[in-house]
Amino acid sequence: MRENFRQEMRDLKVSVLDIGRSIVDVTKLSVKALVEGDVDLAEQVIANDDDIDTRCLAIEEHSLEIIATQFPVARDLRLLHSLGYIAMHFERMGDLGVNISKAARRTASRRGPQTLYDLIQAQGNLVHRVLEAMLEALEKNDLELARKLQDLDEPIDHLFKQFFRELARLQDEEDIEWASSMVLASRYLERIADHAVDIGDRITYMVTGQFEAPPEEEA
Amino acid sequence: MNHTLAELQSGVAPAADPTVKIAVKGLDFFYGDFQALTDITCDIRDNAVTAFIGPSGCGKSTFLRCFNRMNDLIIGTKHAGLITLDGQDIYAPGVDPVDLRRRIGMIFQQPNPFPMSIYDNVAYGPRLHGMKKKADLDEVVETSLKRANVWKEVKDILGRGGLTLSGGQQQRLCIARVLAVQPDVLLMDEPCSAIDPTSVQKIEDLMAELKSSVTIIIVTHNMQQAARVSDETAFFLQEVMGEPAMLVEFGRTAEIFTSPKDKRTEDYITGRFG
Repeated sequence: MRENFRQEMRDLKVSVLDIGRSIVDVTKLSVKALVEGDVDLAEQVIANDDDIDTRCLAIEEHSLEIIATQFPVARDLRLLHSLGYIAMHFERMGDLGVNISKAARRTASRRGPQTLYDLIQAQGNLVHRVLEAMLEALEKNDLELARKLQDLDEPIDHLFKQFFRELARLQDEEDIEWASSMVLASRYLERIADHAVDIGDRITYMVTGQFEAPPEEEA
Repeated sequence: MNHTLAELQSGVAPAADPTVKIAVKGLDFFYGDFQALTDITCDIRDNAVTAFIGPSGCGKSTFLRCFNRMNDLIIGTKHAGLITLDGQDIYAPGVDPVDLRRRIGMIFQQPNPFPMSIYDNVAYGPRLHGMKKKADLDEVVETSLKRANVWKEVKDILGRGGLTLSGGQQQRLCIARVLAVQPDVLLMDEPCSAIDPTSVQKIEDLMAELKSSVTIIIVTHNMQQAARVSDETAFFLQEVMGEPAMLVEFGRTAEIFTSPKDKRTEDYITGRFG
């Protein structure tokens, strides 16, 4: 029985889940900073990103050490490889959160139409739901939940498109920089959810050992 | 190529498949009253390395020794089922076990050179089979030692006793001795468990080179070695003490070590038991 090895793998997974929770916070706080025009909060999120990057790198280093010394195979190998892959996604999701906070910093000085803030808050809530589901699927190796992430992601894409249409109605030229920052923030949110869906596919592989073909793209 | 049991039983003959070197169908094996193996069916592919893995006492070596009828030498053993080499039943009346063992050579855990010179160790088999001319013998000795990855180390000391070599060199000398009689199949029963890492590396290298001309079957307790050297892996297990062992899973090595199909295989290779 490789009890030390087992414990090491469990610890590694806990560390990855912890980073995932930080990503949930980053997403939530950056949306809050954007909607409330809170520059201090945005700065806080931006400053925290180095910590997430360091923790993601530590996962990669630790994975390499385990591969070099323990020769993991089968489900252990799939778990280890997947955790590294998921940590890489988290690192990028963290960067996207930072980008939303930077958008908050740029847009805070002027107040746009309330509809747009409502839309982006709604989008943020949906992304939050996808992230929570993804973390639960990862924690519990829940195949069914992992496969559901794709469905949860769909309304987020629709909201992004709606957000884009709303912005197109703005007439005032001075609004253009503000508007482009807002549309980028909405896009970043949508991308965060896409990463979560990719992680869902990875969880499916981790559990089943099979790579499932992605669904056909809509024309 | 994988065959379902139904296909094998219906007579869709794996022997007709040219990629199959050894075909085993429904093999049972007994030591006296004790049944060691039950209902083993599998195809050993030509030009490939097949690894047998499993916990101690799971019948890997017993199964390996069926292929060159080494078990015949143990009193009270018997078998049922069929083993074919190139489509020919190796237990058929008229098959000469000595000739079979020339075609299916074997390497053991402990190197066992004869107490004679390095040259004579390798020339022993060819001489026994009637090769007399010195030039022919010289050539077969050199070629065999080269194929066994030990030529550079011994070419200037061919007259020295085989037993003066290091353990790892002795093992490669034994491989050269087997290769000198041009076997079709090489059985290796834990060939690397008693030797130094450099020799292990050299033996693993020579396996990769030899498999284009010799079918190799290796029993190993070192799972990393099985993963490194083999194309196909067979996992054996004796689930209940006193009951016969069985073949649990047989498949492509890369698949066995990433996504095994049977939970027992997964539990064994990930160190959850055994």
